Amino acid sequence: MNSGIKTVLFAALAVIGFFVPTLLGGSGAVYAACVLIAIFAVMSYGLDIVVSDLGEVSLAHTVFFAVGAYTTALLSVSAGLGPVLSLAGAILMVLLVAAALGFVTLQLREFVFSLVTYAVAVVAATIAQNWDFLGGSDGLRGIPAFELSWLGFKARNDQELWPVAYLLLLVAIYLVSAFRRSKLGQAAMMVHLNQRLAVTSGVDPQRIRLQVFLVSAPITASAGWLYAYQRAYISADVLETYFLILMLTAVVVMGRRLLLGPLLGVALIQIQEKFFSFGGYVDKIILGSVLILTLAFLPNGLFGVVAPLRNLFIRRATPVGKTIPERS
Amino acid sequence: MNFTQQLVNGIVLGHAYALIAIGWTVLLGVARLVNFGHGQMYMLGAFVTWYGVSRLGLPYFVAIPVAMLVGVAVGYVMQRVMLQLTLKQDLVSIMIVTLGFGYVLHGAAALFFGSTGQILETPFSTKDIYWGDLWFTYQDIAIVIVAILFFAVLKYVIDRTRIGRLARMVAEDPQLAQLAGVNVRRVYLGVFAFEGAAVALAAALVAPRTPILTSMGFDEVIITFVVVVLGGIGSVTGSYVAGLALGLFTAFFGAFVSPAYATAAAFAVLIAVLVVRPGGLAVSPGGR
Amino acid sequence: MNTRPVLEATNLRVAYGGNIALDVPRIAVRERELVGVVGANGAGKSTLVNGLLGWSRGSPKVSGKVMLDGKDMSRLPPHERVKAGLLLIPEGKLVFTQMSVEENLAASVNAPHDGQGRRHYSIDDVYTLFPRLYERRHHLGSQLSGGERQMLGIARALRLGPRALLLDEPSIGLAPRLVSTVLETVRSLVDSGLTVLLVEQNVRAAIEVVDRLVLLERGRIIAEGPASEMRDDPRIAEAYLGAHVA
Repeated sequence: MNSGIKTVLFAALAVIGFFVPTLLGGSGAVYAACVLIAIFAVMSYGLDIVVSDLGEVSLAHTVFFAVGAYTTALLSVSAGLGPVLSLAGAILMVLLVAAALGFVTLQLREFVFSLVTYAVAVVAATIAQNWDFLGGSDGLRGIPAFELSWLGFKARNDQELWPVAYLLLLVAIYLVSAFRRSKLGQAAMMVHLNQRLAVTSGVDPQRIRLQVFLVSAPITASAGWLYAYQRAYISADVLETYFLILMLTAVVVMGRRLLLGPLLGVALIQIQEKFFSFGGYVDKIILGSVLILTLAFLPNGLFGVVAPLRNLFIRRATPVGKTIPERS
Repeated sequence: MNFTQQLVNGIVLGHAYALIAIGWTVLLGVARLVNFGHGQMYMLGAFVTWYGVSRLGLPYFVAIPVAMLVGVAVGYVMQRVMLQLTLKQDLVSIMIVTLGFGYVLHGAAALFFGSTGQILETPFSTKDIYWGDLWFTYQDIAIVIVAILFFAVLKYVIDRTRIGRLARMVAEDPQLAQLAGVNVRRVYLGVFAFEGAAVALAAALVAPRTPILTSMGFDEVIITFVVVVLGGIGSVTGSYVAGLALGLFTAFFGAFVSPAYATAAAFAVLIAVLVVRPGGLAVSPGGR
Repeated sequence: MNTRPVLEATNLRVAYGGNIALDVPRIAVRERELVGVVGANGAGKSTLVNGLLGWSRGSPKVSGKVMLDGKDMSRLPPHERVKAGLLLIPEGKLVFTQMSVEENLAASVNAPHDGQGRRHYSIDDVYTLFPRLYERRHHLGSQLSGGERQMLGIARALRLGPRALLLDEPSIGLAPRLVSTVLETVRSLVDSGLTVLLVEQNVRAAIEVVDRLVLLERGRIIAEGPASEMRDDPRIAEAYLGAHVA
């Protein structure tokens, strides 16, 4: 498709997207759902580039999410900082954490890498529950409303927070799309599909991986940042497996490397949980099963099933597994 | 808290850890697979045993094999669903799928068993032994004995029997194993079924030590992970030694520093090891 | 001849992601015959023997019919074909390096009974054939030399009771003296009743032992015939034997 038309189409889509809650009736529940969808989609976009492009499974993204949320809570409650500074703080903090984690896992690949990241998430939950500095099991309460006094903007409820959430979502989508067009994105893809070829073309896989991590973590952390304002308190439950499974499912369910895939995935899951819930435990079973069945039986996601429409959204279909170089 | 008491605790804990980890050790050694649902399978094993004993009135010795059978069934179903991914060695997808299974098991167990904590009481767990100023239960003795027996039998099976040889062939080179007439799919299914049985056995024995919750299982995964990696991935003997070492470490750390951070501390040790010698983590095929 | 070939493949096609690597209308190996498949690097020799077993380290698409003693193997997975007596000794890694020679030779599938053209080789039989393996029976596969690995590969296949044996480049990486030893061993196995399809890059050595020669080029058979005739075929002589046709 012509890139000019594509830009116009995306711009139109972006404008329409803003009015989705209004079009759906504009009730409080709709705005609440839309804000959460936007936040969780941003959270998932961070993971998306690690899983879909780099081809590694990071299970520590809940930690990045939590770092964003906790840093925001601490900065706004204890230090009284506003959203802009708390966002800067959250990003700075998560870069430190991601760099540390990236450094530790630099040599590790595949399952050992995933195990370490998973362990980091579990240990982080233990620390959050027990460390008084982070509020222990009570968490941190009293996060003030999202307010930009120099703009005269204050979000007292989800409806008023929606523009912020939506803007954050657009920025995240833009970042992911820019990442995929960037040299780093191309290099990540090369490392994913054929590491040997990548090395011989002068790409250092470890450096690429660290860099992708450093791009990815702030995206997820910024979702945590907004989540802190939306919920007004933060506790160790931001480290629950739920968020991890939610992110992973959102990334794979529609099909990997689809720009709007994670957003649509999160939207589907949230709509089911908010409006068609069967109770927490059954919802767990549904979410987990969707994740399992997608990976085991729909390697190209739901979009792979409606293949003819694919060309509208996809940049390039990539197989799920790694291709093995053939010998004759 | 005297030193000898902690030593006893550590030894018991160590055997418990080794037992919890053994299914995964074999899984990794033979099939090069990981199972992030391991902790939830442990949880399920504990709850099935509990349900058998306290709701169905089964004797403990009957409830254990029942729990193991359920473990086998869960392991088999998991691997059946993932078989294509396994044959393609699509580790990335496999990891996520097992994570999904763990999540589903958690939801299903909470639905069926409820989300309140339970105590799994066995004929051994309520009988205390006082020996000088040392204290432990018959359950602790059972854990140590079963763990030692289990490891000895497993080592024998892997090194000396036809089944063990088939597993080692698949571990080293699944394609070449096919050329030797080995049904690789069946080995993969069998290994996962074994993982299910082993972790259920571990749960039935170890879970009586602490209250059980359907939300548990995360600590068990971390412990298993530390044991498997420190012991040399896929090594049965190594797992036993690493389990014991980790048990002693946890007991002393818990007694002298802080029990809440014991798992975190064990993990910190592992991270240190990973940073110092990441190359020492090569998979040794065959699960020796 | 009206006897049915032991191994026969028709319309065998192997494709890697749309690229056809092999397209063979028919290839057959008769009872007690040693057929050599020769050709340049990348001509599709390995693809051919792998395709006969439906086996590969990659993920190609294989189509066509493979018959062993008139039984259709095409739908069977590789390990079932192995059980039926169709055995492949692959190129490259062909023994379990983490296992001892003895363990490599311990049959993994239940050994077949004699009969139907399959001979059961006991562990003593293979040690008699390859005394060197007996000497090294407690060594790990990784400790063996290239020639010893080749012997172990053949011996392991014999233990499984071959009806037809597919041998992929046994001479690769071996010293010239060993090459002829290995090929002569194969010849003597055929003389004692085995049916073998041998892939070989070393045409000069292969032509000395095979009954028939098949020349592959770019995935297609371009010539085939008795070894004695093929020796004079200009395509063979020029390209592989270094002879100049006047």
